[in-house]
Amino acid sequence: MSREADLRVDWPRCEGRALCHELLPELIDLDPWGYPIVNGPVPARLRPAAREAVRDCPKLALRLIERKDSA
Amino acid sequence: MSRALDVLPGPWLLRSTSPGLEAHAELRGSLPQLDAASLLALVEASGLRGRGGAGFPFATKLRATVSAPGRRRHVVVNLSEGEPASAKDLALTLHQPHLVLDGASLVAHALGTREVHVVTAAEHPEAQEALLAALAERRKERRDGRRRWRLHEASPRFVGGEASAVTELIDGRPNLPVTSWRPTALAGVDGKPTVLSNGETYAQLAALVLGGAPVPGTPAEPGTRLLSIAGPTGTTRVVEVAHGTPWRTVLSTTELAAPVLLGGYHGTWAPAGALEQLSVSHADLTAAGLGLGAGVVLPLAPGTCPLRATAGVTRYLARQSAGRCGPCHQGLPALATALDAFLAGGSLERVERLRSLVVGRGACAHPDGTARLVGSALAAFPDEVAAHSDGQCRALRPALTTVGVR
Ligand code: SF4
Ligand code: SF4
Repeated sequence: MSREADLRVDWPRCEGRALCHELLPELIDLDPWGYPIVNGPVPARLRPAAREAVRDCPKLALRLIERKDSA
Repeated sequence: MSRALDVLPGPWLLRSTSPGLEAHAELRGSLPQLDAASLLALVEASGLRGRGGAGFPFATKLRATVSAPGRRRHVVVNLSEGEPASAKDLALTLHQPHLVLDGASLVAHALGTREVHVVTAAEHPEAQEALLAALAERRKERRDGRRRWRLHEASPRFVGGEASAVTELIDGRPNLPVTSWRPTALAGVDGKPTVLSNGETYAQLAALVLGGAPVPGTPAEPGTRLLSIAGPTGTTRVVEVAHGTPWRTVLSTTELAAPVLLGGYHGTWAPAGALEQLSVSHADLTAAGLGLGAGVVLPLAPGTCPLRATAGVTRYLARQSAGRCGPCHQGLPALATALDAFLAGGSLERVERLRSLVVGRGACAHPDGTARLVGSALAAFPDEVAAHSDGQCRALRPALTTVGVR
């Protein structure tokens, strides 16, 4: 079983440019002001795209946090 | 606006309200030096929970810092009380400063740390004055050897006392919350393991270690709580009550008959009369869906509409957003506006949607706390919600901007 990870936003950094939503529409919605809404943990098949979003966020506001234990 | 502060003697921390070291040493004796294991064992046996709001077991925090890798550790006493109606740490600072400082000194000794940071609220210069006087006495009497105390002042804003905002301040950066990727116990001041707690937690710890009187409270919940009880006008009274004390004996008949906001502006509403059968106990209140947070108790003025009061507090909280995190900066004012609009006959659905939209989306828990307040008001006052939906609020008084703002 692959371990789960969470995509977390560093809110003071995020400027809501929505690039993450374009890269990961399956996981990230946008709120009315253009800030990301992350819907749940990152499934294994979306992990590469999540890594890409972390790398490409212009404000370096995303982090992929591994869960210690998936209960 | 400054509120008058009334501090009443209590059964445990406030057995004495005279601030001097001589009286303190006479009452509680000298300060023992415990190693980490003995201090941990004592805290664990006492079941002491942090008194800053989250109510997390203090032993868990302490153990995490004790067993974290590396040698440097930090100790922070956070007396900043960003919550406007909270005055319990101010009361301790003015009346029992040595109890708070003893607690911090005990933790610092157990961690092998010489330095202790103490953060007071900038709007209460008298707190720093009281600390300076107490520290001079301690030096003179060699209460805790060569302990080094560093004083800081937190900015007068609601989130200035949040843990990460406090460690930022100590690290020389703006006194604002930042995203914490790791808990303060493991990565706080200077990124090092840090025990950070409020004044009451340290005072409770010191009272336990120093002993000298039987611990009040119940077998399941030994000890006491400090409450800051603020009516809509005038005075805040700080009272110390033993766990298990019925609210009937803590609040007046008028206060009991009104809705009471428990836990301050991020707290939950107890409907009118709900506290009559309950006691000041973590278990009792949790079972009733309530919580004490940092001990702020705000009885509503008779005849005031609790929803309008909530809307006033929500507007205040929206202005207190540090403005750094988009969803909080945009979402809280939108939520406040939606709540005002609902009270004027608008849609409840929009309030609910904005409320769930802000949760968990900020560097600190300010959006979550604000959402909790609004949610609890909607749940606790179904009749008022219905009245507003029909465009007829039954309250005698039309509006109240804030409850117990000092
Ligand atoms: S790409 Fe980065 S800055 Fe842009 S919305 Fe996503 S997290 Fe925020
Ligand atoms: S969540 Fe709100 S109050 Fe907290 S740091 Fe972000 S903007 Fe400031």
